Amino acid sequence: MTRARTFRGGTHPPGNKGLSSGKSIRKIPAPDIVRIPLCQHLGAPSKPVVSKGDTVIRGQEIGAQNGFISLPTHSPVNGTVTGIEDFPMPHRRSGSVVVIETESEEGGQIFEKWDDFHDHSPAEIIERVKQAGISGMGGACFPTYVKLSPPPDKKIDTLLINGVECEPYLTADERLMLERPDDIILGMEILAYTLGVQRCVIGIEINKPDAIDVMEKKGVTVLPLKVKYPQGAEKQLIDAATGREVPAGGLPLDIGVVVQNVATAAAVANAVRDGEPSIRRIITVTGQGVSSPCNYDACVGTLFADLIEESGGYTGDVERLISGGPMMGIALYTDGVPVTKGTSGVLALSPQEVRDIAEGPCIRCGKCVDVCPLKLVPSMIATAAENRRWQMAKEYGALNCMACGTCSYVCPAGRYLVHYIKNAQDAIRSGQGEGV
Amino acid sequence: MEHKRFELAMSPHVGTHQSTRKIMFDVVIALLPALAAATWFFGPGALLIVALSVGAAVLAEYLCLKFMKRPVSFAFDGSAIVTGILLAYNVPPGVPWWLPILGSAFAIAVGKQAFGGLGHNIVNPALLGRAFLMASFPILMTAGWTAPEEWRNGQNNPWETNGIVQEELLEMPNADAISGATPLNVLKQSFDLDKSADLANKEGNHAEALDLEARASGIRHALSQKSTYLNLLVGRRGGCIGETSVLLLLAGALFLIIRGVLEIRLPISYLGTVAIFAWVFGGSGWFNGDPIFHVLAGGVILGGFFMVSDMVTTPVTPKGRIIFGIGAGLLTMIIRRWGGYPEGCSYSILLMNLVTPLIDRFIRPKVFGEVKEND
Repeated sequence: MTRARTFRGGTHPPGNKGLSSGKSIRKIPAPDIVRIPLCQHLGAPSKPVVSKGDTVIRGQEIGAQNGFISLPTHSPVNGTVTGIEDFPMPHRRSGSVVVIETESEEGGQIFEKWDDFHDHSPAEIIERVKQAGISGMGGACFPTYVKLSPPPDKKIDTLLINGVECEPYLTADERLMLERPDDIILGMEILAYTLGVQRCVIGIEINKPDAIDVMEKKGVTVLPLKVKYPQGAEKQLIDAATGREVPAGGLPLDIGVVVQNVATAAAVANAVRDGEPSIRRIITVTGQGVSSPCNYDACVGTLFADLIEESGGYTGDVERLISGGPMMGIALYTDGVPVTKGTSGVLALSPQEVRDIAEGPCIRCGKCVDVCPLKLVPSMIATAAENRRWQMAKEYGALNCMACGTCSYVCPAGRYLVHYIKNAQDAIRSGQGEGV
Repeated sequence: MEHKRFELAMSPHVGTHQSTRKIMFDVVIALLPALAAATWFFGPGALLIVALSVGAAVLAEYLCLKFMKRPVSFAFDGSAIVTGILLAYNVPPGVPWWLPILGSAFAIAVGKQAFGGLGHNIVNPALLGRAFLMASFPILMTAGWTAPEEWRNGQNNPWETNGIVQEELLEMPNADAISGATPLNVLKQSFDLDKSADLANKEGNHAEALDLEARASGIRHALSQKSTYLNLLVGRRGGCIGETSVLLLLAGALFLIIRGVLEIRLPISYLGTVAIFAWVFGGSGWFNGDPIFHVLAGGVILGGFFMVSDMVTTPVTPKGRIIFGIGAGLLTMIIRRWGGYPEGCSYSILLMNLVTPLIDRFIRPKVFGEVKEND
């Protein structure tokens, strides 16, 4: 194994992956009622193409793509549409969901199976990835087909598969690499073929030696990475792998790189080989707040509450329920929200696990500056934002922040740095306080 | 549908165990070994001065917060204790008991709370308190030196200038020019003699010039004999209460480094600048100064590890911190070599504190991916 690489900055939150890393993926059936959000991806929500009383089959399109940065939505079950309603969401306050009463999960082959993807042109594969509604499954949920269609003037030479999973607690990607490596590898090959790149590597943190082993035995080039948060952030992964820096405000394709999550690669393989749209995903349900943490293969539209019940319910006090990991995940006020394509984890944290510190004034210790992986000065952006000096926040590079949370994590004063910086981003983007 | 309700909060939901309070108490712990040395060399009086200073600082903080209707819990976060200790460490051991109380109260009320309390003060409150005492009670602040360990011989008389170095030097011929007690005071005397010699030379009085030069080098020679590196390291010398014991201060600094509280760039750039400057300009000619003497004598070890590295009043960026350290080092040495005071540590830090907002405004790290954007 070559020496593990990494990026500059970052921090080392306790991994806590042991809670669920040893638990095999359990495939659970769709609940009696599924609620399929029409917006599970970044961009415009899909337009509903079914209405109350319609019968749908598994894999059928129920929401049509609505613009370039948008994706279609599919039904994970055979059943009857009982309505389209507003419902709480894991990644936003609420959104439209198609409510379907489940009858069964069998059959429903909409797309043709392609035994050998080489028989099909890259354009056909991109179309399939789009039709299957695949979005980035690592967290950002960006439509995958867009990433596969770089402008002609951008030469892509490297495909990076992201198996880092640097968020503490989460083990979904790790289990996927251990249990379904062939799907990931086929997905890699399809993606590399589609992009026309030769160089294709999978980045894995060295705290997952089994996964590295599995991939290397299958002949895949593995890039071992040091255990550090946020190693799995796109820019930091590219930096560690290639030494190239994504331009501030730019995209990885500006420097000839495309990054795809392992789960996305597996979803691409499923879509191309099996004709499966993106209707299921692997989710880690964990934290001291659930009785028996586990990794599930569940369909989109399953409620978090169903997953918690599957894990034996809550244990005593749950201080916080989170969609995603503890560093970037979103706190939820209810477990009555549906799983989406981007749901990597459901985290029920006990009071002992959640940081309990009263926010104090900045003591200018500079820890946030030392750890910021994007080399920003979080404390100063936050101070500018607190005083509503949006222009100053922008000057300090507020728009570059990816909200990884490393600064807030290390802040001894317990300042909500990410919160302030996100406020500044919203204000700057909406044109507030020009010239202030 | 009935579902359990949970509290909402912004990510990240986890964090380190580090807190402002823990950092402050780490600094307090790191300062304690030097207090033991101060008590050993200067007697229980030194301990009393530190205790009074700390008590006054905490009380002043509490009263200020109460008066401004702010949460009084801030008074117990440890930062006032740090200020109190640092102020006491920066006064001579022979000062009257009310002086540190006055200094600490001023430091907290004017240096810190007037600016908005913890995190908002522009200059180091303890050093501002010291500057206030220096300006208001210059005689008390420059004459209260006591010789180390003399309190056990029953001849504690803080009103006389009787540091160890001077006592030895008194036996030398022409030692009448010496009136200070700390090693840096003595060094300053030799530089003053050098200046007189230059003057005499210009007036054509070469014999007198030669005599003055001989006295100056004689003093420097005696200084290097009596203020041995060992004495300087353990703190067996005259000086402010907390600045003398280099070894124990370094032990405290090491503790802070291990705890991840001390940003090493500040003391390194500061002490490095002091040492280089001392080597180049610190002697009678060029490049013959004694950098080790300059680093060990005076207050730069205390200043470098506990005041230059004060988080609130120094830049937040790595590059800014190096600039701060170099600037403070240069100012310290300029004051020591050519200024009116034998020691320039505290004023140099105060001056650089004032520049800190400017450094932070203009020295920013290069944002990830910034250069390539301009290609």
